[in-house]
Amino acid sequence: MTFQSLRAGVAALAILAGSAMHVSAQDLTLGLRAGPDSIDPHWSTLGSQAEALRHVFDTLVGVDENLQLQPALAESWTPLDANTWEFKIRKGVKFHDGSELTANDVKFSIERIPVVTGPMSMTIYTKSVDSVEVVDDYTLKITTKGTAPSLPNDFIRLFVVPASIGMDVRNEEFNSGKVAIGTGPYRFVSWEPKGDLVLERFDDHWGEKPHWARVVRKEIPDDAARVAALKSGQVDMINYVPASDYLTMKNDASLDTVVADSVYILNVAPVVKDVLPQKVKVDGKEIDANPLQDIRVRKALDLAINRQVLVDVVLEGLGTPATQLMPKGFFGYSDKLGERPYDLAQAKALLAEAGYPNGFEIDFTCTNNRVPGDSVVCEALAQMWSRAGLKVNAQALNGTVYFPAAAREEFSLAMSAWGTLTGEASYTYGSLVHSKNADLGLGAFNRTGYSNAEFDKLFQEARNNLNDDERRALYEEASFISMEDRALIPTVILQTVWASKKGALTFTPRVDQETRAYEIKPAN
Amino acid sequence: MIAFVLTRLMQSAVVVLAMSIIVFVGVYAIGNPIDVLIDPGANQAQRQALIERYGLDQPLWRQYFGFLANVAKGDLGTSMVYNVSVTQLVFSRLPATLELVLVSITIATVLGVPLGIWAGYRPDSLSGRAIMALSILGFSVPTFWIGMLLIMTFAVNLGWLPSGGRGPVGSIFGIPTSLATPQGWAHVILPAVNLSLFKMGLMIRLTRAGMVEAMRADYVKFARAQGLREREVVFGHVLRNISIPLVTVFGLELGSTIAFAVVTESVFNWPGVGKLIIDSILQLDRPVMVSYLVMVVILFVMINLVVDLVYARLDPRVRLKGGE
Repeated sequence: MTFQSLRAGVAALAILAGSAMHVSAQDLTLGLRAGPDSIDPHWSTLGSQAEALRHVFDTLVGVDENLQLQPALAESWTPLDANTWEFKIRKGVKFHDGSELTANDVKFSIERIPVVTGPMSMTIYTKSVDSVEVVDDYTLKITTKGTAPSLPNDFIRLFVVPASIGMDVRNEEFNSGKVAIGTGPYRFVSWEPKGDLVLERFDDHWGEKPHWARVVRKEIPDDAARVAALKSGQVDMINYVPASDYLTMKNDASLDTVVADSVYILNVAPVVKDVLPQKVKVDGKEIDANPLQDIRVRKALDLAINRQVLVDVVLEGLGTPATQLMPKGFFGYSDKLGERPYDLAQAKALLAEAGYPNGFEIDFTCTNNRVPGDSVVCEALAQMWSRAGLKVNAQALNGTVYFPAAAREEFSLAMSAWGTLTGEASYTYGSLVHSKNADLGLGAFNRTGYSNAEFDKLFQEARNNLNDDERRALYEEASFISMEDRALIPTVILQTVWASKKGALTFTPRVDQETRAYEIKPAN
Repeated sequence: MIAFVLTRLMQSAVVVLAMSIIVFVGVYAIGNPIDVLIDPGANQAQRQALIERYGLDQPLWRQYFGFLANVAKGDLGTSMVYNVSVTQLVFSRLPATLELVLVSITIATVLGVPLGIWAGYRPDSLSGRAIMALSILGFSVPTFWIGMLLIMTFAVNLGWLPSGGRGPVGSIFGIPTSLATPQGWAHVILPAVNLSLFKMGLMIRLTRAGMVEAMRADYVKFARAQGLREREVVFGHVLRNISIPLVTVFGLELGSTIAFAVVTESVFNWPGVGKLIIDSILQLDRPVMVSYLVMVVILFVMINLVVDLVYARLDPRVRLKGGE
């Protein structure tokens, strides 16, 4: 119809526009799946929020690419006694407005969080702080509620803002740039919700000088649009390459891809309460008993999962078989837990032994598109279990529907992803596996009703032990016990893919999946 | 005339009220927004504190009347996700959508109506049939698919145009718009063409149907017998007579395109309101959902009002009466 004339018109426009499209070698443009919800660093714990604001604000404690602690604005930290920590603040650190960082700014930042934080409440990182005392400009004493060995881990998300901004500023003053003042490697230039975040290098930063003078972080949530933006040269690098595009991109001579493990693991959660919210059926009739209470049934579910097939076939290679709730190398990872074998015959035998020789019918609910691959893994698991003789009604729900229903504990057998974002066991096992205990703040996300006195005892002992080696050993033992008990059944560790133009950039992928402009360097 | 406008405005107030109730009940039925938003590291006490802070522990009717009381004070609420006022949030993204819709609806009308006239004037000619065949493509092939094809062709393979996003913003008569800069036009052209195809197909078919019918009417014969030239017959008489359905559809499409351009906006990463509302629905950000839908209802009412006024202008037989 109008294709020819359209082409001509388009070409003319392109010539017009082309002259203005000039990009300097000092510029880096990133195409990212998600960005911040605000420029206020104390507003939300959202992962993409921390990732973006890290460029402008530094945290008190840093983490390396495997989430293990390293010095940042605090040079060192030591427990003085069971309830007190001392943090030594780095000297000579400058804010973007030229003022110098002191312990008072850190105290202000800790105290600001409960006042301004939103629904994704950052108080989870300050909940064990009782009071903060400024000893001198570079020393901070923190008294905790009870013993808090993981306080430095909590502070890896403690962004520091200058005390001079005052308690009254909120998101709007940060979004406009008026008080977006940090000590980070980049200065804030502009941002709009769901739009571009523009940054320029801060030359007085205390750390290593980043290569890029100007960084634009474009938010492109649509997978296909993000891939197209890279292929057309609009952006230099993208994160979260969709699995469906991964193989083509890997074989594309004009692109580089980088694959790495993430902290996210897809876990199956079998409810072990006396009464299941969705009852199981045997021979078409609902029964009152809960077969999942029987460890043999939970083991049978586990044995029927072929994790290698999940990785190789279902996830197109973008995963690693999981044996526990955290990746290897995290604080409390148990080396005693071996690989989970796939053994269909034994799974059937265990089901028969438990009194279900003909299996049973059960509903299985998962998230859909919350993380890459969740819905396909969901379908695959249903098929694997049906080979063991069960009838599984799999259903993948949007997170908007899934999470409120999960909170109401409406599912009997469910699967969602969990990421150990603090790099240590207390965060994950305390929320998911420990018995529900509102007074201790434990078991908040324990939706299976699992309760194991032996595990709880070990966990609480660890939680109150300031000796790193002893604590690690206790967490390892607790991990081992709960995983052998199939409190939750981990399936696969998800992997993430970045892609960039061939031979243009280098960077070390991070297990928390963050894309940090200051850690990306030109290839030569 | 004034009575007519007033009645319309009152009707719209009722629709807005009904709609806000539907959103409140809908969100309430799905569940607690806090459970979608909350961080997995939070404990029971923190969850409870949040629920109380946002008033979500109150009975639904009390939450709803609290909302109405705030609206009466001119406050539509604050986004739970962004913590900025929802009016500011929606209006910060509305210009992007408006300029995209404006360009696309112009393309659809300027190309669609003449093509439809030609196809209706010469329905049996080869060109007339070709136009009809292409118009079927326009509204039968999914928008996102055509969008991807456009990106693959013009952005990835030919490299003529950017693959997405909005260009730099300039100013025309004080209104900030990317249509003021050449780069802005380079960014808008692909998504606008993509968005216009469906409407263009619709315009072509409507115009043609009207033309075919009208060309057989007596007044055309009389006009010709009067010795008028074909151009005068078609544009002076026929077009005016077939305009009413065109204006109706134009109005409806204008409204629905502004409100629901979301597919094109995601494929081309256009920073418009469509993307904002989809994200807000996924996060159960109730204040944004309510106020956005309220604005959409008002928009539809306004457009319909203008359409009715245009009817009266096109056809003197149409009378505007209050309440009818």
